[in-house]
Amino acid sequence: MELPPFSLEQISKLAANNFPPSQLFEILSQYETDASIMSAGSGSAETGGGDPQLLSLFYSSFFFAHLLTKQLPEARALTQRMPETLRHQDPSLQNCLTLLRALWQTQHAQVYQILRGLPWPESLQPLVRRYESFFQDDTLIAISTCYEAIRPSTAANYLGLDPQTAEQGDSAVIEKFTSCGWTWDPAAQLLHPSPIVVQTTDKPSSNGIRETMAMLGNSGK
Amino acid sequence: MEVVEGLMTQSAQLREAAYLSDQNYDQQIRETVASLRHVISKKSLAAFASNASLLDHFDPVADSLVYLFLLRAQIQAFQEESRENVPPALLPPGNLWSRIVTYLRAFDPVQVRYAGQEWRQLVEIVAQAAQVVSKPILAVRPVRDAMLRLDPSCAVFTSTHLLLVRLCLRARAYTHALPVLDKYVCHFPTSISHATSKFPVLPCAAHDSSLSFITETSGISSKLAYKDYLQYFLLGGMIYMALKQWGKAAHYLGVVISMPTAGPISMIMVEAYKKWILVKLLENGKVSSPSNLIPSHTAKLYQSLARPYVNLAHSFQRGDLENLEAEVDAGRDIWCTDHNMGLVSQVLSAFSKHTVMGIRQTFAALTVKELADQASSMRMSDEATESAIASFIMSGAVKATLVQHSSGTSSTMLRFSAARSSPQFSDESKAQACLARESQSLGALMESLHEIGHHMGLSNEFVDGMQRGQIWANADDANTGIGEDAGLEIDEDLMGEVP
Repeated sequence: MELPPFSLEQISKLAANNFPPSQLFEILSQYETDASIMSAGSGSAETGGGDPQLLSLFYSSFFFAHLLTKQLPEARALTQRMPETLRHQDPSLQNCLTLLRALWQTQHAQVYQILRGLPWPESLQPLVRRYESFFQDDTLIAISTCYEAIRPSTAANYLGLDPQTAEQGDSAVIEKFTSCGWTWDPAAQLLHPSPIVVQTTDKPSSNGIRETMAMLGNSGK
Repeated sequence: MEVVEGLMTQSAQLREAAYLSDQNYDQQIRETVASLRHVISKKSLAAFASNASLLDHFDPVADSLVYLFLLRAQIQAFQEESRENVPPALLPPGNLWSRIVTYLRAFDPVQVRYAGQEWRQLVEIVAQAAQVVSKPILAVRPVRDAMLRLDPSCAVFTSTHLLLVRLCLRARAYTHALPVLDKYVCHFPTSISHATSKFPVLPCAAHDSSLSFITETSGISSKLAYKDYLQYFLLGGMIYMALKQWGKAAHYLGVVISMPTAGPISMIMVEAYKKWILVKLLENGKVSSPSNLIPSHTAKLYQSLARPYVNLAHSFQRGDLENLEAEVDAGRDIWCTDHNMGLVSQVLSAFSKHTVMGIRQTFAALTVKELADQASSMRMSDEATESAIASFIMSGAVKATLVQHSSGTSSTMLRFSAARSSPQFSDESKAQACLARESQSLGALMESLHEIGHHMGLSNEFVDGMQRGQIWANADDANTGIGEDAGLEIDEDLMGEVP
C-alpha cells in the first residue's frame, strides 16, 4: 500500500491515531528510509541534514512504537541508527535515551517520572500517554503473577501511584487493585494479587493441534 | 526508437503468453530473455540509457523482464560513463535508485526466475549504493522484500542470504532480518542436471519447492563457497545475539561449529565456538556438550583454541564470582581482541540471575535476606535484591513468587514453586501458539525432506553430485587461512558492536 508522503503532518497524525501497535510499527518502519535519506541531505550544521523537527518526531514516535510492541533490544538499536548530531542535541530524543536506560534497568518508578515529568513535544504526547498506560497495564499483569502478597506501597511504586497514599490504605488506591481481582486483607494490610488472564483474539484451533500431532506421528514412521 | 518499440512489442507478447500453457509461456519468456540479453550486449540501448523517461513506457509488474533489462542498461551506461561500479546517478535518493527500489518491491517473481543473474546484480547494486552513502539501512528492506518476493520460503541458500544479514548487522536493523533468518535453509542450489535429468521442470510452472528454479545455473545466487554458508550462520547468530534471543543464537552458532570438515577447522568455526560458549552461559547458565555431530578430536581442538572462554565458563558454572571476575579481568585483552567484550559483560551481569536459578535446586523457599547471604553476587540492599529478583521473575527467567509481610522490616519470602504459574488458559494458548509455530516449521521441513528424498530416489547422478560436492568442500577447506582471515576482517568489526 502506498503511504502518504513523509511529513510532519503525517507523522503527527500517526502519533495521535490509535492504531494497533504492530500496525503503527509497520507504518513507521516504512518511513525509516525517508527519514534516513532526509537526514543524509543538506541541513543545518547543528542538527545535521533535513528537517530536525520532523526527524525528531519521527524517531521519537518510532521509538515508542518499538516499546509498544515490546521490542526493547531493537529500540536500543534504533537509538544507534538515529542521526548522531540530532540524537545528541534533540531534547525529545534525549528523553527517549533516558527512558530507554530506565527500562533497560527495570527502574519502574523512574520510568513513570520520565514519562510524566520530562518535557515531551506536544505532537508526541498521545504516544507518551499511550505508552504510560501500556507500561502500567503490563507491569500490573507481571506483578500479579510475581507476588503472592504485596504491600500497597510496593504495588503503588510499580504502577506509578503515590506510595504514601497507598501505604495509608487509601480506598481509591486499593480499589484500583481489587477491581483487577486482587483481594485486600485490611488486618494484615496486604494485597493478594490474582493472576490476570490476557485473552488473545486468536480463536483456538484444535484442528491445528490435530494436524501437528498427525504430522509428528507420520514423520516417525 | 525502433529498439524501444521492439521492446514494447515483446512485452505485449509476453503479457499475452501468460494466459497460454506453461510450455508456451516458458518458450516466450526464454525468447524474450535471449533477445533482451542480445540487445544489452550489443549496447543497442546505449543512446536511450540515460533517458529517464524511457522506463515510463513500461510497467515494473506486467513488464517485469523488459523493465529489469532496461534498468540494467541504464546502470551499465552510467557505470561506463563514470567508470565507477556505483555511479553517482545510482545513489539514493536519485531517480534511478527510486525506480530500482520500487521495482524490487513489485517485480513479477515468475518472469524474473528466467533472469536470475540480472535480478541478483540489481539487488547487489542496491546494497552497494546504500553502503557508498553509509546508509545500509536504505538497502535492507528492498533486499529482504525482493528475496521474499522471489522465493517466499527462502529455503534454498543463496548469496543474497549472506548479503542481507551483513546489511542488517551493518545497519543495526536486526529485526529486519528475521523474516528470512527465522526460515529454515534446507538446500543449496543444485546443478540444473539434477533437477531436470528425468522430469524437466519449467521455471514458470507452479513448484512445491524453490529448489526447482534456484539452481546453480539460474544466476539467482552467485557462486557459493563453504565459507559463505559458515558466515551466514555466524552472522545470523550475531543478529539473534543482538536481539537477546539466546536460544536461536546458540542454534545458529551450533550449526557453524558442527559443520563437517575434512581438514582443519576454520577461524570462523573457532570464532563461532567462542561466542557459542558465552551464548550458552547467557541462555542456560551452563555450557552443555556441543552437538554429537562434532567428532571428539574436533571438540578437543575447539577447547584448546578457546581456553580462556572455557575457563570463564567453568568459573561461571562453579558459581564462583570472585574467580569469574578474575577470569574476566585477566582475559580483558582477549575479549577485546575477539570483539566479545560486550558479551562477556553480559555474562557477568547474568551471573546473579543464574545464581538465583541455581539456589532453586537446594531450597524450596527462603527469605530475600537469606538468599543474599547465599549468593555473593547479590551485594545490594534487601530492597534492591528484592527488586532484582522480582525483575527475574517478571521476565520469566526464574519460576518463583514473592511473599511480602505487612511490616517492611521483615524480609520478603521467595518461594520456588510452579504452583502459581500462569493461569491455565494462558498456558494453553501459549502451548497452542507454540504448536502452531512448530506445525508450520515441521510442514516446511517435511516439504524439504520430501524434496531431498525425491532427488535421492529419482536421480542416479545424486551420488556423483554428492561426491563432487565433497571435492568442492575439501578444495575450499584447503584454502583455509588467508581467505578466511580476509572474510573475517569485516565481521570482526561488527562483532564488537553487538550490545
